[in-house]
Amino acid sequence: MSTTPLIKIEDLHTFFYSKAKQAFIRAVDGISMEVPRGKTLGIVGESGSGKSITMMSVLGLINAGPGVIRGKVTYDNGTINKNLLDGLERFVDVHEESGTVMHVEKDLAGWQKHSEELMKDIRGNEISIIFQNPKAAFNPFTVIGDQIAEMVMLHTDIKDPQAAKEKAIYWLERVKMDTPEVRYHNYPGALSGGMAQRAMVAMALASEPSLLIADEPTTGLDATIQAKVLELLAELKEELGITIMIISHDIGVISALSDYVAVMYGGTVLEYGKAEDVLSTKYDNKHPYAKALLASIPSLENIEKSGGRLQAIDGEVLDTIKVVECCKFSARCNRITDAVKDKCHNNQPPLQDIGGGHKIRCWLYQ
Amino acid sequence: MKIQYQQHTKDISQYSELSLIQRSDKTDVAFVAYGLFVLSLVFISYLLGLFGWLPFDPDDMDMDLMMALPGASGHILGTDFLGRDILTRLILGIQAYFLPGLLAIVVALGLGTFMGVLSGYRGGKAEAVITYINNVMDSLPRLVLILLVVAAFKPDIYIIMLVVGLTNAPAVASLVKDKITFLKQKNFLEASVALGLSTRTIIVKHILWYNCRTLLIIQATLGMAEAILIETSLSYLGFGVQEPIPSWGNMIQAGANYMMRGDFWPSTAPALAILFTVLGFHLLGDGLNNILEGKRRK
Repeated sequence: MSTTPLIKIEDLHTFFYSKAKQAFIRAVDGISMEVPRGKTLGIVGESGSGKSITMMSVLGLINAGPGVIRGKVTYDNGTINKNLLDGLERFVDVHEESGTVMHVEKDLAGWQKHSEELMKDIRGNEISIIFQNPKAAFNPFTVIGDQIAEMVMLHTDIKDPQAAKEKAIYWLERVKMDTPEVRYHNYPGALSGGMAQRAMVAMALASEPSLLIADEPTTGLDATIQAKVLELLAELKEELGITIMIISHDIGVISALSDYVAVMYGGTVLEYGKAEDVLSTKYDNKHPYAKALLASIPSLENIEKSGGRLQAIDGEVLDTIKVVECCKFSARCNRITDAVKDKCHNNQPPLQDIGGGHKIRCWLYQ
Repeated sequence: MKIQYQQHTKDISQYSELSLIQRSDKTDVAFVAYGLFVLSLVFISYLLGLFGWLPFDPDDMDMDLMMALPGASGHILGTDFLGRDILTRLILGIQAYFLPGLLAIVVALGLGTFMGVLSGYRGGKAEAVITYINNVMDSLPRLVLILLVVAAFKPDIYIIMLVVGLTNAPAVASLVKDKITFLKQKNFLEASVALGLSTRTIIVKHILWYNCRTLLIIQATLGMAEAILIETSLSYLGFGVQEPIPSWGNMIQAGANYMMRGDFWPSTAPALAILFTVLGFHLLGDGLNNILEGKRRK
């Protein structure tokens, strides 16, 4: 097994052009991260920090008229090695006049065709995805089993419908559905939230992918079901050796599953490293935002520390339209010291490695 | 890992769903049964007319037996003002509706589906243009449009039905578009793309086959009823199928001249035929709608 990461995102920018404001909404603003084979990367951040857009950029799902993507996403599983965003910028013309974006021209058909071409043997085959709302991700008017069997026939060597059906039942069994033969004939509407999520996992795995992207896989499930779905994902990861990218705003979900963690804020990565480094509450070498996130987890320890109240982060998520020169978190940061104050408000800090691959984007650690 | 799913196979029968008919409302089943009966009568009549297996010669005039009531000397449904057998002419009249009606249905469904998918799935400019076309079509009175076309070309039933199909297409398009819009907010279309299904498979299989087939079947049954009604209206104005070729519309129109004299039957017979046939198609569509769509609601 080679040691190159399965997927490597370098300097990814995803912008959306807003006609009314004549500016780009900088949803993802230059992020770099990588997922080693067989490991799990957790991406955590508030709503609007660009987590889901990152995922959609990787899968080539950004088709919205004025979406613009720059950067490099290298997918390498040993046999396939390519840049998933190769040449997409050719289809977009940006006209700028003295800092204002006047006009964005996009050859949508060309973009889509090229993107389809790039993604042809990737989507489903190599990268599968679990969506936030599992019930909505199934065709509501046909049984779930047939939809899973369709994936089997499309992406694996099994082409015989009967064999595909058996394989679909195998996957339903594998994700611990009770009576899989009966569930095979259920419409999505007949399943509970937790079961639908299991069925979704079965459908995502039916194509035997190398990378599984889970976009908020536990949102909308109640706490006990959440734990069970996470347990299931952890088990499947262990047994199938599958690489997982998990996206969530719930730091608890991330900590249950991840080997590596990226903390995102305002379209940039503020902290990246091994899960035990980023999520540890003991060390103080942490980005102020990550620290505040950890302090806002409702745990007994946190509540005692802050005197009976749960700590919240003041302020709101950054407006991503403005091009800011300062540190993106500086407006809400409570650890700015006099020594670094000027830098925080005027310069964007680089992502600095503070040892052992633990990177922090903060002037306090330069 | 050894999977033991065989042990469950016995249970399936216990859980097997009731058949569609068992679960449906009895009224709906009756509607559909009547509709299918009418549909088969229409089809049989078409075949009879096509092969010329008719009780009488449709143009054979019996001057001694004009405007006879049903049952008179072998004429089961009586005769018209020229002494021609009404049953024969009713059967032959189907020729004016069957193929032209199918043409109207095919044009309406084909074009409507295409436009609906284009505007619903693609969106953007295509949607704007198609919405505009739909609005223009909606604002034109259909009968006037057909009369214009008839005046420009000739009163040919196929040309008329082509226009009927074209003017029906926007309605089908907006139905298909609404369905796709509904599906889009469920985001399973996005999921299908992400899981690697080709655009063709998504549109043909997941949108049209699984989600729009009932809608299209119902539109087809209503389309046939529509074709009959339009032809009748035009015949009454004298622009439909022309004598001596029989159609239900021109039979009513010809018979209506004698209504005032008390000879109501020659125009009442085709009128009743239209009533029961159109009713049949409408009930078929309605019943199918309730049975097929209702099943999903449960």
